[in-house]
Amino acid sequence: MSDEHKDVVIAAYLFEDLAKKDFDAVLKLAEEKTITVEGVVLVQKDEEGGVQVSETGDHLGRKGVKIGGGVGLVVGLFAPPLLAATAIGAAAGAVTGKFAKHRLESGIAEKMDAALPPGSGGVIAVYDSDGADTVDKALVNAVKKSVAQIDGMSAKKLKAGLAEAQAGMGG
Amino acid sequence: MSDQAIDRSKLPIRRPPFQGVVNRTLDGSQPDWDFVAPRQAPEGAPNVLLILTDDAGFGNPATFGGPISTPALDRLAAGGLKYNRFHVTAMCSPTRAALMTGRNHHSVGFGMVGEFAGPFPGYSAMLPKDCEPFPKTLQGNGYSTACFGKWHLTPDDQQGPAGPFDRWPNALGFDYFWGFLGGESGQFDPVIIENNTAIGVPEEEDFYLPDAMADKTIEWLHGVRAHGSEKPWFAYFSTGCSHAPHQVRPEWSDKYKGAFDQGWDKLREETFERQKQLGVVPADAELTPRPETMPAWDSLDENQKRVYARQMEVYAGYSENTDWNIGRVIDAIEEMGELENTLVIHIWGDNGASMEGTLTGSFNEWTMINGLPLTDEQQLQLVLKWGGLEAWGTDMMAPHYSAAWAWAGNCPFHWGKQVASHLGGTRNPMVIHWPQGIREQGGLRSQFTHVTDIGPTILAAAGVPEPTHIDGVEQKPMHGTSFIDSLGDASTAEHHTQQYFEILGNRGMYKDGWWLAWMMPRIPWKVDPETIKGFAPGVWDPESDPAELYYLPDDFTQANDLAEQHPDKVKELQELFWHEAEENNVLPLLGGLTTFFGMTPPLPTQSQFTYYGDVQNVASGMIPKIFNHSYTISAELEIPEDGAEGVIVAEADHLGGFSLFVQDGKLKHTYSFVGVFEFKQESEKPLPTGSVNVRMEFAADAPKPATGGEVTLYVNDEPVGGGRMEHTVPVRFSGYAGMDIGRDNGMPVDRSYADKSPFAFTGKVKKVVFDINPHLTGEHEEELHEHLHQALAGHAINA
Repeated sequence: MSDEHKDVVIAAYLFEDLAKKDFDAVLKLAEEKTITVEGVVLVQKDEEGGVQVSETGDHLGRKGVKIGGGVGLVVGLFAPPLLAATAIGAAAGAVTGKFAKHRLESGIAEKMDAALPPGSGGVIAVYDSDGADTVDKALVNAVKKSVAQIDGMSAKKLKAGLAEAQAGMGG
Repeated sequence: MSDQAIDRSKLPIRRPPFQGVVNRTLDGSQPDWDFVAPRQAPEGAPNVLLILTDDAGFGNPATFGGPISTPALDRLAAGGLKYNRFHVTAMCSPTRAALMTGRNHHSVGFGMVGEFAGPFPGYSAMLPKDCEPFPKTLQGNGYSTACFGKWHLTPDDQQGPAGPFDRWPNALGFDYFWGFLGGESGQFDPVIIENNTAIGVPEEEDFYLPDAMADKTIEWLHGVRAHGSEKPWFAYFSTGCSHAPHQVRPEWSDKYKGAFDQGWDKLREETFERQKQLGVVPADAELTPRPETMPAWDSLDENQKRVYARQMEVYAGYSENTDWNIGRVIDAIEEMGELENTLVIHIWGDNGASMEGTLTGSFNEWTMINGLPLTDEQQLQLVLKWGGLEAWGTDMMAPHYSAAWAWAGNCPFHWGKQVASHLGGTRNPMVIHWPQGIREQGGLRSQFTHVTDIGPTILAAAGVPEPTHIDGVEQKPMHGTSFIDSLGDASTAEHHTQQYFEILGNRGMYKDGWWLAWMMPRIPWKVDPETIKGFAPGVWDPESDPAELYYLPDDFTQANDLAEQHPDKVKELQELFWHEAEENNVLPLLGGLTTFFGMTPPLPTQSQFTYYGDVQNVASGMIPKIFNHSYTISAELEIPEDGAEGVIVAEADHLGGFSLFVQDGKLKHTYSFVGVFEFKQESEKPLPTGSVNVRMEFAADAPKPATGGEVTLYVNDEPVGGGRMEHTVPVRFSGYAGMDIGRDNGMPVDRSYADKSPFAFTGKVKKVVFDINPHLTGEHEEELHEHLHQALAGHAINA
């Protein structure tokens, strides 16, 4: 399948540590170049409701970007205030500046925050569609997943894909 | 008048003839003070505290080797006696009917639960006047009497202010009642009944039913003693715990964090070892195996293990809280200086632990009751939706744990609730404490005893005979027999030597140590049409069900089936069962499931229901039967100049229910499909002021259960909005939450107004009218009618 086809998956977890486990599994696949990932975001909500967001940079796997190594398009989903309240790899100021250009105002951050109860977690990943089965298997602990496909990687398309995937999480 | 001179065989006790002298004036008149004295209990008659918990197993409380800390039960057992061969009927109302009357459950019309009156004598759910409950005898003999908590002996359609009240607690021997009439209640938002009145959902922010029950009991005890210094009392403390919904504050459930991570298989083994160490299970007993229908703990994935473990943590915390509250009542009695002569009988469970949560357990027990089986995956998603695992046990869910936890809680026996053929459903722990009446402390009694024996034993302790007549009605003799002599003597002979058992076709016959187990081949949580088909008239032959035979003196757990070795004994007990069944109105078998098989009650004739004023707390079983039909809710409102907001009419809550309300000036309708889906519609424009008519019309797609359909909202007959509801609730929204006009009591249907609960309407609701419009052919109506009753019977099975 062409690299132009991307999948956007939103996965929800009852347990924050299991979300992290699956997040790590996706990263590992990317690092091993089994799949090509544009970006992955992990949202963890502790039992007091505190939110932690971790992310990977663009084109992980293809360019070998490591965890926390940059703030990319995907993490731009988490526009302030959610991201500002979290500790990710870079300094907050730098983060804000960097993702601002990618800011999608998708509302996904607020939706995830509202949908996830304390103690739970979520993973959002954007990856080449030919890795779909592999990613699906890696997200083994998710209790709910929704996937949308986008044709090419642009802020507009990603936003539309996210909206579609988010809609699939409803009900 | 001396005790001996009082004839207590007929109640009310006759007033003695006047023995004084009456003249025209007091001059020369001679008083007779006996004539005006109130009836008195026999001298030295003890107080009686009868405790019954709900849906709890032999292997649950620590006192009997279980994992749930029960210091109050421990204390009673240490100062009194444990009974390890005590038996109940395997189901809620039947056990309560047998407990109260001392008669076999079918013989007093309770072969099934109280919500459903059936068309046969053994299933009528109507306690007969010639089998009055023993509390009426105590009451008639000078006791103050009260019942707190779960009643479950009033027909479902007789639970409102219209009565009749002759099957409410006040008419059946209780001076005072505070609790709930049905089979279950929310712990945070119950609809409380006090005597013959629904006083509604308590509004205190920190209200918790089990705590309040203990408070009320103590308050009543203090009141009785303040007004009758010598009068003995009888208190029936009947907890809603540990029936679903399993709800408790985290400080109780969190005590058990990690305590069940080992899973149900290991838990059962651990419990069994402790039971042997405590001696409540003989040292040579064998642990019965897990049924094949339940998964091994090790076969579960990580999500399942964690969710299931939390289910049991909540159940354990919920149960421990109830034990704590029982302890508070005991402490209060002690503080009053009355524990010495208070006979405390504590029965842990009206049946074995309940397997009705299905294998997955559920965030909302009403999904299953409405015939909506959910997969593990769906359950997990819904747990996530309603607040995650932290919310399991809060009022955001109405949870029930997995059947496998119930099985573990019924250790060391097979099966559980509903399964009257096996000890998992029928054998429950009992502890008796009575310092003045029991010399031995910490003893164990192993005589075969049965729930029908409780009444006769209490009457014997009180020195009160079983009356031959009550209110002029000749009474049938009790079936139970007093075991009071066992209080003083561990080796006393067993008096209850024979007992039949039957619930929903599961049969047992006990005689002189032998037990015939004749189980109907239905897994307790399966009530789907395919399963039920196999038990239709002419299809099911109860004679062909496999029979098992156990000799309990040698086999405490029913581990060794002797049917093959003793075919004659099997035959003898089978014949005895049929004889007993005939004698006690057990027949026809499945008499409580008639509606599954086409014997439906007459069609209801009422299709319009009008509510004037601010009617509140309409019992959940008595709301208009809008299910599976097209229907209309219309309301006449007065809206002030500056607008209004609030609820016009609402039933139940976010886990199933509907609400028609005004918010942000708009008419809105929210419908919760058992917490799985929510459908919302709203008007496009704000409501006008003044006299306004609003209407919600639901046009059903087709005459079928759980039908989808279109909602249209109207204001003054103009359509103003609407939307589609893909599914509707086919059976019932809730087991306890009521319907309210002008507000939404208890948990809100729509969480958007939760911060304003009960969101009372700020204008005036003059009238609300429900019109149930069949829009169906007669044939379709019959079909739906039958379905609804089948489903209701399915609910009854699980009540």
